[in-house]
Amino acid sequence: MLADIRRLAGRISERFKRAYYGPTFRCPVCHFVLAAVDADGNGLLVCPVCGAVIEIEAVYGHIVPVVLDMELYRPQPKLRVHPMATHLPIGLFPVALLGVVTLLAATFLKRLGLVGAAPGGRLSVLASAVLVLLVVSVGASLATLASGLWDWNFRYRRRTYRQIRLKIACSIVFLALGAGAIALHASGLVFAASGLMRLDSAAGVAADFAYLAALAGDMVVLATLGHIGGTLVFGR
Amino acid sequence: MEFNLTPQQQERVEAAREFTREWISPNAAAHDRSGEFPLEICREAFKRGLMNSHIPKEYGGAHEAVLDHCMVMEELATGCSGIATAIDGNGLSQYPVILAGTDDQKRRFLAPMLDELMFSAYAVTEPEAGSDVARVKTTATKVGNDYVLNGVKWWITNGSVASWYFVLARTGEELTGFIVPAGSPGIVRGPKEINLGQHASNTVRVTLEDVKVPEANRLGAEGKGFDIAMATFNHTRPGVAAGANGITKAALNIALSYAKRRRTFDKKLISNQGISFKLAEMMTRLDAARFLTYKAAWLFDQGQDNAREAAQAKWFAADVAMSAAIECAQVLGGYGYTQEMPAEKLIRDAKIYQIYEGATEIQKMIIVSKLLRMREVH
Ligand SMILES: Cc1cc2nc3c(=O)[nH]c(=O)nc-3n(C[C@H](O)[C@H](O)[C@H](O)COP(=O)(O)OP(=O)(O)OC[C@H]3O[C@@H](n4cnc5c(N)ncnc54)[C@H](O)[C@@H]3O)c2cc1C
Ligand SMILES: [Zn+2]
Repeated sequence: MLADIRRLAGRISERFKRAYYGPTFRCPVCHFVLAAVDADGNGLLVCPVCGAVIEIEAVYGHIVPVVLDMELYRPQPKLRVHPMATHLPIGLFPVALLGVVTLLAATFLKRLGLVGAAPGGRLSVLASAVLVLLVVSVGASLATLASGLWDWNFRYRRRTYRQIRLKIACSIVFLALGAGAIALHASGLVFAASGLMRLDSAAGVAADFAYLAALAGDMVVLATLGHIGGTLVFGR
Repeated sequence: MEFNLTPQQQERVEAAREFTREWISPNAAAHDRSGEFPLEICREAFKRGLMNSHIPKEYGGAHEAVLDHCMVMEELATGCSGIATAIDGNGLSQYPVILAGTDDQKRRFLAPMLDELMFSAYAVTEPEAGSDVARVKTTATKVGNDYVLNGVKWWITNGSVASWYFVLARTGEELTGFIVPAGSPGIVRGPKEINLGQHASNTVRVTLEDVKVPEANRLGAEGKGFDIAMATFNHTRPGVAAGANGITKAALNIALSYAKRRRTFDKKLISNQGISFKLAEMMTRLDAARFLTYKAAWLFDQGQDNAREAAQAKWFAADVAMSAAIECAQVLGGYGYTQEMPAEKLIRDAKIYQIYEGATEIQKMIIVSKLLRMREVH
């Protein structure tokens, strides 16, 4: 079952990669996967990871890269704002999600009559904590996006890479979905004062669904962002 | 003598080249790394009529000439000879049926292969019998109207995916050919062998344990199996040589593209004769190998004996591919040795051409056997 899900996810991401990146090749120096479309009109591109200046030519559908030079002066962002800002959402968002799953489970257990009311209003504390975590992680991602753009400007010299475009798009989606989830949470449409999710009205159930979908979507986007970020640091 | 391609041949070659560029080359490295069988690529090749093309017209096929097939095969193997082997592997087992099968056998086993994507395999080699096919130990014992087969077949290309096998087995002192459906009880397929190269191609052990085969699936008369198995190679060896030529062509293209662009000592690599002469030699050897290949194929298409020419082509093209792959890596220097470039794979892939469908030494033995029958060579 788990293996099937993994296989399916693998196939979907493979399809997406093929459509989005087009023909790819590996940087012969650092093994980073590069998209052939990122080369300029002369077939030249600079590997964002190691700075290899590569010229590519396709013969019989085989991409033949030639390393012409190494770009050595690649400014490192001094304060490392981007990596630090990145790890706040990556670290906190899953914890917020865990809190939501706990609240969801408590709501169903209560509904099935398997547990009584949570003593001392602990669930509402958890719901508030989730909100704080969401605000911090989504808020920090603003700094992540800004510092990422800054790095792109200096370190990567505004060169277009499929990976960086995808990161920018994913960051915007993460922010939008995260802001939506925060708004729903804060509006009181999703959680009742007890901290349990609202299942009493159609509007409540719809809000629950939208909230959970936004969070789940954000988790996928975040994992994608983290993965691409990792390859931009380590090559492969 | 005519060296130009006919418009139909030109069209077919271009179609194969387009398929190679679009489907084979871009996926070659991934299949080489994963070893996954290229089912999707075969499905597309099947749709485009690039598989099973030699099946006779009466059974719905295109009855493609061996010469035309060689040109297609060279294109496919330029993308990846492992994937090309998966696409073309059926031919080796289909030919014994084309050669010696009854009308009923052709209808049951060849015709369905044109309706949907299916595979078949040539199961002759055994752990104790490779070059020396006459040593085959698998037994076929007649029981009523059936034969019962027992034995171990080894290194069977497409063995895991085949719907039926051409099996050579011993009926008493002699060897006899059988068509054995893969679903027959008693057929056990082994795991995929981890080979040096051609990782996309599927090679497995196939064990036969009391496998019942009806008499209607015997190919030709009892005792005719060895001749059928050997005659098949006259048909397939030019195609194998063409596969090797595809490797040579890939090696040449990659080395040429690289040498024109890489700089050392303030000039392009190709401006050094030490490098450019390698390319000149590769090109010349490729043409020499092609002409041997085309001649062997043409003779077959004319209905003439091509055993010597097929052996010459297979041996020579394999050696040319091996040397071209090594020279290609040399032109690329250190990059020729890393797995991130397409050169090192060619070396691994080329090696098999000196081994399967009769190793180089066996080809030379065939050439000598023909020479011995000549009083003088003209
Ligand atoms: C990837 C792969 C796919 C294959 N696919 C198939 C398939 O689909 N179906 C199938 O039936 N078989 C298949 N084979 C088997 C292949 O045809 C045999 O491996 C080949 O014929 C050599 O036989 P052998 O390995 O037993 O070597 P041997 O016969 O043991 O020979 C070993 C070496 O000695 C040399 N040699 C042998 N006899 C002599 C002699 N008299 N003089 C000089 N040199 C000699 C040979 O050339 C070889 O180099 C495949 C093999 C491989 C590796
Ligand atoms: Zn690199």
